[in-house]
Amino acid sequence: MRMLRSASALFAFVAVASLLFASQSGQQPGTSSASAEAIGGQVHSITLPDISTEIPKGPHVDTFDRNCLTCHSARYVLTQPPFSKAVWESEVKKMVAAYGAPISAQDQERIVEYLDAINGAKSPQTAAPPK
Amino acid sequence: MHLRKTAQKTALSSFSRRRLLSTMASLAGVAAVRQAFGRDLNISALPGYAGLPSDTQPQQLVRYPQKTDLILLTDRPPQLETPLRYFRTDLTPNDAFFVRWHLAGIPTTVDLSSFRLEVGGHIHNPLRLSLNDLQSKFMPVTLVALVQCSGNARSLFEPRVPGGQWGNGAMGNARWKGVPLKDVLDAAGVLPGAMDVGLHGLDEPVLPQTPRFQKSLHIDHARNGEVMIAYEMNGEPIPMLNGFPLRLIVPGWYATYWVKSLSSITVLDQPLKTFWMDKAYRIPDNPQANESPQHLAADTVPISRMAVHSIFVTPESGEQLHVGKSYEISGVATDGGSGIRSVEVSTDAGQRWTAAELGQDLGRYSWRLWKMAWKPASAGHYRLMVRATTNSGETQATTQWNRSGYQRDMIEHCDVVVG
Repeated sequence: MRMLRSASALFAFVAVASLLFASQSGQQPGTSSASAEAIGGQVHSITLPDISTEIPKGPHVDTFDRNCLTCHSARYVLTQPPFSKAVWESEVKKMVAAYGAPISAQDQERIVEYLDAINGAKSPQTAAPPK
Repeated sequence: MHLRKTAQKTALSSFSRRRLLSTMASLAGVAAVRQAFGRDLNISALPGYAGLPSDTQPQQLVRYPQKTDLILLTDRPPQLETPLRYFRTDLTPNDAFFVRWHLAGIPTTVDLSSFRLEVGGHIHNPLRLSLNDLQSKFMPVTLVALVQCSGNARSLFEPRVPGGQWGNGAMGNARWKGVPLKDVLDAAGVLPGAMDVGLHGLDEPVLPQTPRFQKSLHIDHARNGEVMIAYEMNGEPIPMLNGFPLRLIVPGWYATYWVKSLSSITVLDQPLKTFWMDKAYRIPDNPQANESPQHLAADTVPISRMAVHSIFVTPESGEQLHVGKSYEISGVATDGGSGIRSVEVSTDAGQRWTAAELGQDLGRYSWRLWKMAWKPASAGHYRLMVRATTNSGETQATTQWNRSGYQRDMIEHCDVVVG
């Protein structure tokens, strides 16, 4: 899986989340509800659906792909309205400062460029100020 | 073009808001429609990029386990919105109930033979309680209560703010059964000097350095007898995506405190220090959580009690109605525990207001359905508006904005065309 290319992300997946995601592999789209029932009286289990997301091309898309999709899917970005570069900058900074995303300063800049390119505000009125 | 994973087929269906909006734009004055649907029409296309932000894409419906078709905001971690048509009944069906998780490591398997709710910290007797312990050793209570995301209706704020772009469907009303948190704390024997109760569930961050999702309540709030550890939702086990097997019920407060898959309760002799209380889920420190982009509030506080709000369920914005035909204007009114005293509706953009008929009263923490008959006498564009007042006299705001899109309490409108 391409989202696992970053070494630290791979470590995190192995260390923390392998159990949580193991059940998703091989799941076919649209079959999730069939597996929603409890396996036995005591073990209750669901299988999350596998939802595709098209990632728009843009400058530094690989940097976005490599860093951002470890913790959340691309829809977290693609469902946002257009924002100013300042807002995108603050969002990326929040991922690093608050959530501990291991993203270098250079990669942070590249990600902001990418977000601004694919979903930048066309006028300042449509954007909230940075948090 | 990157195409991640395989295409979603049968689980996804879609409908197009854009088609509706382009129809509306041709029917009505562009300015009026812009005002009504600004969040859609303000979005400009991004030529050159094939994958577009969802504001310019049709909404997708998706079916998750134990769920019916819900509006897909995000898939990992999942944020799923309830379509408005499920808000026509007093209780929201479990399979239509909205879903919102913060961290991608969400619980998908719970083995009840090993699951334990741990109670520790500043207490006499640490407890490790199974679901069966809670069901057999404590007196059950039931309560109908509204749970609503802090950011419900965030997409309606102008200017737009980052975050889950919810419409009005990040809420639901359910009958909860469980045990009072007070009784569990009493069994654990809270020590003198207790100040806060820290709470978290089974969800885990992907990265070890990401703060796990944790919330706290003041000890007096936690022991008020109303805060509940629920194991049933509308008479059934809680769906996995809504917090199986245990969910904290904090009547009247926003959903951020309603910890899902509750697994740990820690009594503290000092305030809980966590990103999720200290940095996230904070609002301007004024009654209607107001600020402006130019003048951000200097002081913020943790969000808490739900503000009074009311929304339209029928008709939906953009609906085409007919002259002389009878319609039922209906919706729900919500608040933080005082209860709804009255709901008023205007069909002329707020010039005259008429009292709506209130639905069944299921208790002060429940939402309240409302309805009003309407037979439009002439053709034209109508702006319907709705406002609610609580038993304690709280009313809705005419304007509101904050940087996080929280605690929506603005008087809402619904633009329809009568032809």
